[in-house]
Amino acid sequence: MIDLKGYGPFLLDGFRLTVMVGVTSMAVAVLLGLLGAWAKLSHSRSVRAIAEVYTTVVRGVPELVLILLVYYGVPTLVQDLLAGFGFEVRVDLNPFLAGVLTIGFIYGAFSTEVFRGAYLAVPKGQIEAARACGMSRALMVRRVLLPQMWRYALPGLGNVWMVLLKATALISVIELHELMRAAQVAAQATRLPFTFFFIAALMYLALTIVSMLVQQRLETWANRGVRRA
Amino acid sequence: MGQDALNIKDIHKSFGTLEVLKGISLKAQTGDVIALIGSSGSGKSTFLRCINLLEIPDSGTITVGDEEIKLTRNRRGESVPANLRQVDRIRTRLGMVFQNFNLWTHMTILENVIEAPVHVQKVPRKEAVELAKELLDKVGIADKADAFPIHLSGGQQQRAAIARALAMQPEVLLFDEPTSALDPELVGEVLRVMRQLAEEGRTMLIVTHEMGFAREVASEVIFLHQGRVEEQGPPTQVFDNPSSERCRQFLQTNY
Repeated sequence: MIDLKGYGPFLLDGFRLTVMVGVTSMAVAVLLGLLGAWAKLSHSRSVRAIAEVYTTVVRGVPELVLILLVYYGVPTLVQDLLAGFGFEVRVDLNPFLAGVLTIGFIYGAFSTEVFRGAYLAVPKGQIEAARACGMSRALMVRRVLLPQMWRYALPGLGNVWMVLLKATALISVIELHELMRAAQVAAQATRLPFTFFFIAALMYLALTIVSMLVQQRLETWANRGVRRA
Repeated sequence: MGQDALNIKDIHKSFGTLEVLKGISLKAQTGDVIALIGSSGSGKSTFLRCINLLEIPDSGTITVGDEEIKLTRNRRGESVPANLRQVDRIRTRLGMVFQNFNLWTHMTILENVIEAPVHVQKVPRKEAVELAKELLDKVGIADKADAFPIHLSGGQQQRAAIARALAMQPEVLLFDEPTSALDPELVGEVLRVMRQLAEEGRTMLIVTHEMGFAREVASEVIFLHQGRVEEQGPPTQVFDNPSSERCRQFLQTNY
């Protein structure tokens, strides 16, 4: 077997952190995506404009730039602002939080488009039938709209999840010991870059393969009543 | 006989600059079966959809039983419901059947039928299931309770949709061209169910192109033309002796 020079548990910790960052960021992305889709479909022109700026800016700026901007840029900006008011404080962002929020923020923009498309794909008659039955708006969204949107959103969301998972490697630059960072540290310490980066690659691959299986399950469930069960 | 189940006065509705309804009134007493006929574009579907506020009338009043739906105007001067909860409540008293069935595709037939009773009207689930099974039996698809809509024929789907509307135990049933999307050989099974409901004394408003059905089942027929009531009366009068020339022409080509 490959000798990991005792760095096995270290890598596993990184792997676990990557999964944590991925899942939490995805949750943020889904919430922002739903919010963004709602905003894009809003009747209010200003709400639509905000959503438009959000998706345009985020999708147009590289992830790495945004990550560095949030982690290093925001604290200094806040410090300078506070200093302007005479407060001398040191602001530090928790790298986990900074990473999750930034990645969630970025992929929220991609999810926005996924959910917007999913909403538009739900036949209007489905919503009308809910209204005609006296459902309130909230109940209609919960019982009819969202369950039907998942069906159209899942393939796109699965895609977002895959890309997001790989993008978590970028936050190794902000000192978070996720899988990529762990592999780097181990590779440097042992001078076995191929071994550790290769293992990291396999671990990412394992994650995406498991994700694909889960996605297939979810799609079968969401498509009940559409394709032959 | 009975009190007014539905009293609609002077409904106006425009889409942009196109005035679709130019002041339509209608009274239905409990047990009335009113057929709305007219060529496409005459406004009959829009009128029906105004009754449960799927379209908001620009002006006019709608009274269901003794409750009038309150409308007001928003900042842009558009007509809007004053109280959304009142609208939701009144909609449960008006069962609607659509041309394209609109069964919820992610739910089984039984789940479709118990959805509004359980989640809107807060009927205990067990009770709702019992009623749903009775209704499915009544429309002849008891064996399809656990199937998804996609696995049913159009006629079966429409009968399920009728069961769904009945499950709310509404005072009035609104039918929006219930057989227009069906293959000809499936029309009969849906009309049979509707006829049975009429015979039970249910109050029904039916937008339809089935003239034979309207003539036999309706207690009153209303012919709409360009957003106005052009002819109105018992079927024998409207079909055999219409006073309006347009109605006569329409019946000649459609009946």
